[in-house]
Amino acid sequence: MRGALIDRRDFVRAAGLAFLAGLSPRAAFALGRSDAVFASAYRGADGGYGIATLTERGEIVDRFDLPARAHGMAFSPATGRTVAFARRPGTFAMVLDLSGRSEPVILSAPEGRHYFGHGCFSPDGRLLYASENDFEANGGMIGIYDATAGFARAGEYSAFGIGTHDLTISDDGRMLIAANGGIETHPDFGRTKLNLDHMEPSLALIDASSGALIERHGLPPSLRQLSTRHVDVAAGGRVWFACQYEGPRNDLPPLVGHFAKGEDLAFVPLPEDVTIGLGNYVGAIAVNRQDGLVGITSPVGGGMAVTIDAGSGKVTQSRVLADAAGVAPAANGFAVSSYRGDFQDRHSPVAWDQHIVRLAARG
Amino acid sequence: MRLLPSLLISLSLAFAPLAAHAEEETASPPAALDEKTVEAIMARAVDEVIRPGYRDFHASAGRLTAAMNTLCGEASAPAFDAARGAFTDTIKAWSRIEIVRVGPVIEKNRFERILFYPDRKSTGLKQVQATLASGDEKDTDVDYVATKSVAIQGLGALEYILHGTGAETLTQEKSGFRCRYGAAVAGNIESIAAGLVDIWEKPDGIQAAWKHPGPDNPEFRTGGEAITALLGILVHGVETVRDQRLEIFYKGTQPKPRTAIYWRSGNTFVSITANLEGLKTLFDTSGISDLLPAEKKSVAGEIDTLLDGLLAAAPTIDADVAKSVETPAERQKIELLLAETRDLILRLNDDLGGALGLTAGFSFSDGD
Repeated sequence: MRGALIDRRDFVRAAGLAFLAGLSPRAAFALGRSDAVFASAYRGADGGYGIATLTERGEIVDRFDLPARAHGMAFSPATGRTVAFARRPGTFAMVLDLSGRSEPVILSAPEGRHYFGHGCFSPDGRLLYASENDFEANGGMIGIYDATAGFARAGEYSAFGIGTHDLTISDDGRMLIAANGGIETHPDFGRTKLNLDHMEPSLALIDASSGALIERHGLPPSLRQLSTRHVDVAAGGRVWFACQYEGPRNDLPPLVGHFAKGEDLAFVPLPEDVTIGLGNYVGAIAVNRQDGLVGITSPVGGGMAVTIDAGSGKVTQSRVLADAAGVAPAANGFAVSSYRGDFQDRHSPVAWDQHIVRLAARG
Repeated sequence: MRLLPSLLISLSLAFAPLAAHAEEETASPPAALDEKTVEAIMARAVDEVIRPGYRDFHASAGRLTAAMNTLCGEASAPAFDAARGAFTDTIKAWSRIEIVRVGPVIEKNRFERILFYPDRKSTGLKQVQATLASGDEKDTDVDYVATKSVAIQGLGALEYILHGTGAETLTQEKSGFRCRYGAAVAGNIESIAAGLVDIWEKPDGIQAAWKHPGPDNPEFRTGGEAITALLGILVHGVETVRDQRLEIFYKGTQPKPRTAIYWRSGNTFVSITANLEGLKTLFDTSGISDLLPAEKKSVAGEIDTLLDGLLAAAPTIDADVAKSVETPAERQKIELLLAETRDLILRLNDDLGGALGLTAGFSFSDGD
C-alpha cells in the first residue's frame, strides 16, 4: 500500500527537480563568494523556504530556494558541499556545492524512512550520513549516501535507539555520534510526540566502518524524559550534548552535558535562572574550539542564548533573546540567530530556522 | 518547583556549582498575554469542551457496549441496526474529542488502542481476521482484549466486525464468537474512555494544571505556554484532517478510497465532519480569539467562516468513498475541503499564532 508519505516524496522529488532547473549560473556563482561563512535554513516573508549563506556579521550573501522547510545542515570542508535536511518527518535533503563546481543534488529518503533533520559528512567528504526514522519498526537509523556516486544510497546502520535526531562524526571519521532523543514519532501523527511516558533517550557511539555499537549511554530512570537531541564535538573528541525535557514543567532538569569515549555522562549544573530562562529546553548547541566555549540556545521560555566555558563548565554569559534559534562558532564566541530574523546584530526579513552551520573546517 | 534528583553522583560531575554570570538583554520577549484572560480561555476549553468531550465519548461507548450485548443475545436485524447505529454515534463522539492529541490520551498507548489508523500494511485487518478465524474464547474477555495488539481492540476492529466480510452472521447466530469478541472490543473502548474521564475529572489533576498556568504548574509555566498548547490542538487538528483524513486517499492521480478512515461503514465524512465540529467548538467556546488585538479581530471571523464552509460541505459528500472519488461533483467538494483546510491552517498558524506573539507562526516555533 502506498501512503500519503510516498506521494509527498514523489511530489518533493518533482518539485526539487523544478527548483534545480530554475537555478541560474549566476546564482551558483554567487553561492561561492568567499565572504559567506555561515549557512542557515529560513522561511521567507512570502512563506517560501530556503537556505541562505551569510557573512561573519550576519548579512545575507545569497539565497537558495527549497521545496519545503529544512532543519539541520552539514558542511564538508573537503569538497565544499553543504547539505540541508528536511525537517522531520520530511523526505528530502538538498546538497549544494558552494564552490559552484558541481550541480545541486536532491536526495529522497527511501520507502519506509523519513529524515529526522540532521546528518554529517565523513571527513574526506566521500560519504554523507543522515539520521532517519524506520517508522514502522520505530527505530532510529543512519542512512549512508555515496557522495562520489551522485549520493546514491550506499547502506544504513542502526542508530541503536529511537527518535534519532542529531548526528555527527569524530574528527578522524571513525566514529559516528548519534543523539537518540528517545521519543517515538510516526508520520501518520505528523510531529506529535507519542507515548512520552516511556521515552528511551540515549547517546550512541557507532563504528563508522562497520556500524557496530561502540558505546551506548542511556539515562537513569529519574531522567528518562530528558530527550538527548543535539551534539557537537570539542577538540580532543569530547562530545557535548544538549537536551529537551518532556517531564513536568516545574522540574529543573539538567540540560547540557559532555562525555568522551569510555567515560560516563557528566552534566553541567546550570544556574536555576538559566534553566528557567531556557524553558527546560535547548534547541541547538555548538562548540567554539578556538575559544574553548560551548554555546546553547532556546526559543522556549521567552528565548535565551547561553555561553559556557568548556573547561570549567561555568556559564560565562546568558542573554535573553526572543525566539532564539541557531548557534554556531564565530570569529569570536558564537553567531546566534532567531525566528524573528536576527542574525548576530543584523536583522533580515526572514524567520531563521533552528540551526546554523559554519562553512569551515572544525577549528 | 522541584529539583530533579541529581544523578550526578553516579554519573560523575566534573564541574563545581556556578558563580554569578553576566546577563544582558538584546531583544524583547513577546508581550505577555493577559493572565486572567488566558485562565478564562483555558477554563472554558477544559470545562466546556475537553471534559464534556471525553464524558460524551464514554457515554457513547457505554451505549455501544450495551447495544453489542443486546445484539449477541438477540441476533436480530433490529439489534444489528441498533449496534451499527451506536457504532456510528461512538465514531462521532470520539472524532469530536479526537482532535486533542496531547495529554493523557497519548500516554499508555490509549490513542492507538482506541483508533489504530492508518493501517498501511493491513496489519490490523489481518490480525482481526485471524482472531475471528481462531475463535479463541479468551478474545471475548474485555480485560484480555485490552492486553492484545492495539490493532485488534479499537474502533477499526469493531468496524470490521460490524461491517466487514461475514458481518451478516451477527443476525444468524445468538452468542456467536464474532459478536462476543465485538462486545469485548466495545467494552474495551468504554474502559479506555472511562480512564480518560477519570483523569480529566480529578479537580486537582490535569484540569487544574491546564486552567492555572504558573511557576509551580507541571504542565504550563506561563499563560503563553498554555495558549500555545491550545493553539497547537487547533493547528494540528486541521493538519490531521487535511493530511491524514483527506490527502491519504485523495492525492495525486490515483485516489485510494480504501485507505480512507472508516470507509467500510461509510463513516469517513461523518468522522471528518465531527473532527471539524470539535475544532469549531474548541475555537468558539474557548474564546481564544479574545486575545486578538483590536486591529486583528477580523481574524476570528475569517477562521469561523472557513470552519462553517467546511462544516457545510463535508457532510454532503457521498458516504461511499469509492463513488465520491469518481464523481466530478463529489470530487469538487473534496477539493474544496483540501483548499479550505490549507487556508484554515494558515489563518490559525500565522494570523492567530502571530497575534498571540508567535512571530513566525505556531508551527515554526516548536523547535526540534
